[in-house]
Amino acid sequence: MEEILNNIYQMTAFSDIIAANGTYLVMYLLAFVLLYLGIVKHFEPLLLIPIAFGVLIANFPGGDMGVYQADEAGRIVNAEGKVLAENIWEMSLPQIAHDLGLMNFLYYMLIKTGFLPPVIFMGVGALTDFGPMLRNLRLSIFGAAAQMGIFAVLIIAVASGQFNIKEAASLGIIGGADGPTAIFTTIKLAPHLLAPIAIAAYSYMALVPVIIPLVVKLTCSEKELRINMKEQDKLFPPTNKMKNEKVIKIIFPIAVTTIVALLVPSAVSLIGMLMFGNLLKEIGSDTGRLFDTISNSIMNTATVFLGLCVGATMTVQAFLNWTTIGIVVGGFFAFGLSIASGICMVKITNLFSKKKINPLIGATGLSAVPMASRVCNEISTKYDPKNHVLNYCMSSNVSGVIGSAVAAGVLISFLQNMTL
Amino acid sequence: MITNDIYGALQLLVVGMVTVFLVLLIVIYLGKLLIWAVNKWAPEETVAKKVAPAAKAIDTIDANTKAVIDAAISQITGGKGRVAKIEKLKN
Repeated sequence: MEEILNNIYQMTAFSDIIAANGTYLVMYLLAFVLLYLGIVKHFEPLLLIPIAFGVLIANFPGGDMGVYQADEAGRIVNAEGKVLAENIWEMSLPQIAHDLGLMNFLYYMLIKTGFLPPVIFMGVGALTDFGPMLRNLRLSIFGAAAQMGIFAVLIIAVASGQFNIKEAASLGIIGGADGPTAIFTTIKLAPHLLAPIAIAAYSYMALVPVIIPLVVKLTCSEKELRINMKEQDKLFPPTNKMKNEKVIKIIFPIAVTTIVALLVPSAVSLIGMLMFGNLLKEIGSDTGRLFDTISNSIMNTATVFLGLCVGATMTVQAFLNWTTIGIVVGGFFAFGLSIASGICMVKITNLFSKKKINPLIGATGLSAVPMASRVCNEISTKYDPKNHVLNYCMSSNVSGVIGSAVAAGVLISFLQNMTL
Repeated sequence: MITNDIYGALQLLVVGMVTVFLVLLIVIYLGKLLIWAVNKWAPEETVAKKVAPAAKAIDTIDANTKAVIDAAISQITGGKGRVAKIEKLKN
């Protein structure tokens, strides 16, 4: 009887969970906190809930739902030191599914190949309107300034000695505030850090309503936040009004793809897909069915699998270490510095320009479209209920997506083939 | 090793920020060029003409209908609300 009970106990997950001295409980707690933020607080629920559930199901011993990270030679060793695969790159996908479980099959097919981030970018492009950017082209430059956090944290991380330059670049890209870009860059440069970087990137994106007001409070005065963009437009009317917006919006994605492809070819997989999705949207009824598919079915499917797979990479072995804590802290600095850099650039511009710009437009230079713009609009209307800056913020916000993809392209092209 | 990495990181800072600024500046001027070219050679779409149908729509609402809408608004808002404008929406 005792033996039967012992066998039943060994069969359940309890034996391993208790033997692991509470480390699994930390992961469950993390999963529950993320689920709470997604379900109750509505912080990016479409992403946080799949990620959180992925974390939960990946951390039940014996469930085979956690993703194993292979070393550079493709060798996979589990926590007990048992070799699960000698070279995963030589294994077929059905073999991966059979030997390592369903989640590893999905991860190595969809994420490790770099397939899902560009697909998500395609969906993001279909949901993006470049109209506000084209109407306020001058403001788009703040999307470049806000990439400063990426490179500043890259230097800090390298100087700390805890990260090599490839890992530091993957950490810095969190400052781009763009989940797919962060994942894409990390897959290329430091795939073993994918779990903490993805979770930090998406968590900080979800916390945009908290982080932006904090940085704005530290860096902007009330007088600056009261700058009314519409009144400035009346005083200094914009010179480039569009007479045929539809045609411009169709040509724009084609032209931008061509230019970026020529200058930074490594960013084409992101920018190209972003602009392709946008082109299908702008063409209208002729490509309506394709637009509908990529903005709904494909985007939603990709989001579900991306979220689950990223969550499943957060196993006890991969997550509970000092590197992860370094990434969480560094990611926060990257995010904050990006917002502050955008604001500083606006302040510098205001010193030399008669037409004043509300610094909130610089704060939206990081990606996180459109949440960053919505948050900044709320801040400005708090000081002046008539001062709606949403459309102006969207200009730098959308250009920030292009900026972070270009920054990722630079990092990848410089570091991907570097031997350490 | 760390010194080399810091040197590499500084190099990336300069190259990365210059590239991002350059690409976005090109995108900005490309956008301006596009707007100028389309405005010059294909300025078909006009925005200002859409006001007339709305004004016409108000004329088509007869006094009885207006009285019913007024009464409904008054009922719902407890006498506090009033109708400022009635527009017929396009189907």
